[in-house]
Amino acid sequence: MVGEVLDFSGVGFRFHGGTGVDDLAFHVDPGEVVALIGLNGAGKTTLMRLALGMLRPQRGRVRLFGEPSADLPDAAWGRVGALVEVPPAYPELTVRENLRIACLLRGGDTRRVEEAVDRWRLAPVADRRFRRLSLGDRQRTGLAAALQHRPRLVVLDEPGNALDPASVILLREQLSRRAGEGAAILVSSHHLDEVARIADRVLLMNRGRLIGRLDTTGADLERAFFERVREDDERRDRDGEGTR
Amino acid sequence: MITAVRVEALKLARSPVGGTATLALVLGIVVLLAGITAGVAGGDPRLIAKAGPAAALDWEGLVAGAHQIAAAAALLGFGSVLSWMFAREFTDRTITGLFALPVGRGRIALAKLTVHLLWAVLVGLVLPLGVAALGLLLGYGAPTAEAGGALARLSALVALTGILATPVAWIATVTRSLLAGVGGTIALVAIAQVGALAGAGGWMPLAAPALWAMSGGAAVNAVQLALVPVFGAAFTVLTCAAWARLQLTR
Repeated sequence: MVGEVLDFSGVGFRFHGGTGVDDLAFHVDPGEVVALIGLNGAGKTTLMRLALGMLRPQRGRVRLFGEPSADLPDAAWGRVGALVEVPPAYPELTVRENLRIACLLRGGDTRRVEEAVDRWRLAPVADRRFRRLSLGDRQRTGLAAALQHRPRLVVLDEPGNALDPASVILLREQLSRRAGEGAAILVSSHHLDEVARIADRVLLMNRGRLIGRLDTTGADLERAFFERVREDDERRDRDGEGTR
Repeated sequence: MITAVRVEALKLARSPVGGTATLALVLGIVVLLAGITAGVAGGDPRLIAKAGPAAALDWEGLVAGAHQIAAAAALLGFGSVLSWMFAREFTDRTITGLFALPVGRGRIALAKLTVHLLWAVLVGLVLPLGVAALGLLLGYGAPTAEAGGALARLSALVALTGILATPVAWIATVTRSLLAGVGGTIALVAIAQVGALAGAGGWMPLAAPALWAMSGGAAVNAVQLALVPVFGAAFTVLTCAAWARLQLTR
């Protein structure tokens, strides 16, 4: 469909040990927040690595901005902002220096660094080396680096990790703002946290596969999530599928 | 590409690794030379026998000693730093930030190698100044024309040794391990020594710059010396290709 920013079609990838993901098919549209929920080891990070070119699909196709990711022009990657696993910041550099190089490498306007420092409430630690930061400050630095250049596609793996409640609210505000400006946003979580709850759609992932959507209008969402995972496990065990 | 070079230069300049390695190479070699000179002046027969041409207590002896030490020490130092520059992206887990960028990873690898070579050239400019200062302190007087030429060859030897370390970038990338890169560096030094002893001489790029510098240019011809950049270019291509094809499968 025209207008999809991120599109997976029948995507599969297997690591040497046999774990991996299969038959991934979903899309994220402009202005949409999609949450990917799954237990630890469900394959969320693998999916995100596939979206960002860190892994190449062995089956199926990943498209970004309407182009196969392998053929995406270099410049188009400047419209992507991501944080996968840990904040990719250099311990010997200060927060401000890390944000500056993240901006430079994405072809962004470095004047936005100061804006990001203010927006993410990093001013008190802006000149502190990254290695001396608390976990929460590190995560906010990583999020600022991923979002400061105003990307059109945002991919965040467990963005709420290590954040205090005030920072979670800040993150929600920033994601809502980016979506309001037309960005497509994909976030993952291992539970229905405060970030996942702002999503327009919640996709469930279990043992390397997407197993459907979660109706977020219902009551007791955590119970509904675990029930779906349990049903999927039982069905696949019955059908003789191995674990991831 | 210029952006990537600026970023890599900042990372090296701000890390303790860059500063420590520069000091270790320049001060370390100068202090070692001072120690050898003191030993030779004290009449230590074993040291005099081992030092060979470096046992002369004049400019020629001093710079000959610098050539001998720098050939191995610079390769160890440059290889270790290069291993860190590449492997640290995996061990510090910053590699994820080098994907999904308008700057391709092949160009990031090229930027790393460029910054490393620029640093090697800088060390190559500073080290002869340190050796010259030691010679003046030892009372050798103003350097002779021959000594000036030998100091210029020392500068070139150090810069060429920066190129010789290039395979370490490829080893550190393939193994994603700093220690494997350091091990590769030690292997390069060993291969160079064994090659020189086996008589491979100028046709062996790993040994050619040292033989050229120490022989005053007589033992190695221009074609043999030109194989050094070819050797570096081959491993640059391998390293950049490995980075361009990189997947985070581990």
